[in-house]
Amino acid sequence: MILEEKIEYFAKLTPDKAAVICGEQTLSYSCLWERIQEKAQQMKEDGVCKGKPYVFVATQDADFIVTYCAVHVCGAVAIPLERSTPTERQQQIIDETKDFSFASDTSDVLYTTGTTGLAKGVIISEIAWKANAENLIDRLGYTSDLLFIVCGPLNHLGSLSKIYPTLIMGGTLYIMESLKDLNAFFSVFELPFSKFATFLVPSSIRMLLQFASKELAAVSTKIDFIETGAAAISQHDMELLCQILPQSRLYNTYASTETGIVCSYEFSKYGCVPGLLGTPMKHSSIRIDEDGKVICSGKTIMSGYVNSSELTTQILKGGEIYTSDIGSIDENGMLHLLGRRDDVINVGGYKVNPSEVEDAVSAFDLIKDCICIPAPHIVLGTVPKLLYVPKRGQTVKPKDIADFLKGRIENYKIPLLYETVDAIKRTYNGKLDRKAYQ
Amino acid sequence: MKERIIELLSAALPMVDLESDFLFSELDSLGVTTILMLLSEEYGIELEARDATPKNLKTIDSIVKMVEEKLAKQ
Repeated sequence: MILEEKIEYFAKLTPDKAAVICGEQTLSYSCLWERIQEKAQQMKEDGVCKGKPYVFVATQDADFIVTYCAVHVCGAVAIPLERSTPTERQQQIIDETKDFSFASDTSDVLYTTGTTGLAKGVIISEIAWKANAENLIDRLGYTSDLLFIVCGPLNHLGSLSKIYPTLIMGGTLYIMESLKDLNAFFSVFELPFSKFATFLVPSSIRMLLQFASKELAAVSTKIDFIETGAAAISQHDMELLCQILPQSRLYNTYASTETGIVCSYEFSKYGCVPGLLGTPMKHSSIRIDEDGKVICSGKTIMSGYVNSSELTTQILKGGEIYTSDIGSIDENGMLHLLGRRDDVINVGGYKVNPSEVEDAVSAFDLIKDCICIPAPHIVLGTVPKLLYVPKRGQTVKPKDIADFLKGRIENYKIPLLYETVDAIKRTYNGKLDRKAYQ
Repeated sequence: MKERIIELLSAALPMVDLESDFLFSELDSLGVTTILMLLSEEYGIELEARDATPKNLKTIDSIVKMVEEKLAKQ
């Protein structure tokens, strides 16, 4: 309840100050708190109560903040879902969480492919959120005069985690649907605030550098900091960003839904080194195991997975999260990330398990066999590519497959690239030979 | 030109209904970027963020018009 307590606190201290802005709508702290209370009252009347899950689609607007906080005021567990989550999948999640016995300090469940490569509900406690917020406030320097622009999906840790430090410090959130309207993004900087900050995945930074470097330079004195993460950013893009924003603090962060926000590195101050993610933040620790895997511990880590004690015990052992990331720690205690030790494809920060894509395609009548592999992409770095074998005599266009997959899997999992092949390589025992396509 | 643009974009954005009258609302940030990149490469025109307006990307016809106007200015 740290977030809701702070909103209530600022509703009394600075009632007229803007808490959340979304397009034409501005909610002051007092208005936001009033709406949260009204919504919570309505939810309670509808049976939302302590320890029970509340599944809802994460809209990208002020209503999301109201609903999210109201769930917590009711003592319930917030489960925000990606907007493109198929209806069947939404029902599955409702079914798998409704009878789950959540610990009393559970705040949220975030569904992610994340560390294990399987879509799982990650349980996040109130303690973890508080620690994540304090990590960010301490390392990145959130202040009360800051306007933080959220332009990523609010059901993901990357953007959701920014609500906490911004509102806990009495700052202002600006929520955008996405970064697709760059003109709308730059118009935010015309608002009467002295300091702006945002979180951008590397592909969004690439997009800004490619098509809006002049506009970015024009607002450079207003940008206090930009944080990136969730995928690898190139040295070239880090250097270019430093040139365009010489006065801004620029950070590369290591985080995942399971580990929470662990490390961050100010590359604008200490130099642009690919894969360098800095030292652990105040509530976090890291070490590297004998296989080179990154292991994280501290207050930010998840409590476990919903309905999967087996999977939980595979990666959460003795209070430590065993990630699939391969890394090293240098003499300064800084984490260097070298890659992943699994088949998960990182698409601009979204993790895609290729097996899930292949399973969905297997239901398509006209396709005999397929494999989903990572392929280079000029904007996103890596995207899923589908190699497929049509059934004899059949012609299958990429759009046919994409249309088929819509509504069956989330949009970001749908391959962007397609290629017809004569056969899919398999190992001697019939499994997909992923290594042959690396 | 319209056929060529449809050919280019349908290969790069298989999920998008290019015949839509509300094309911009179907696009995400990747889609917008992809369109800008492909068109600037194919036609040797300079496209910037200010070109990626909901009006310019409303339909395939409005995209064609934007490219034609850029070419005429060169």
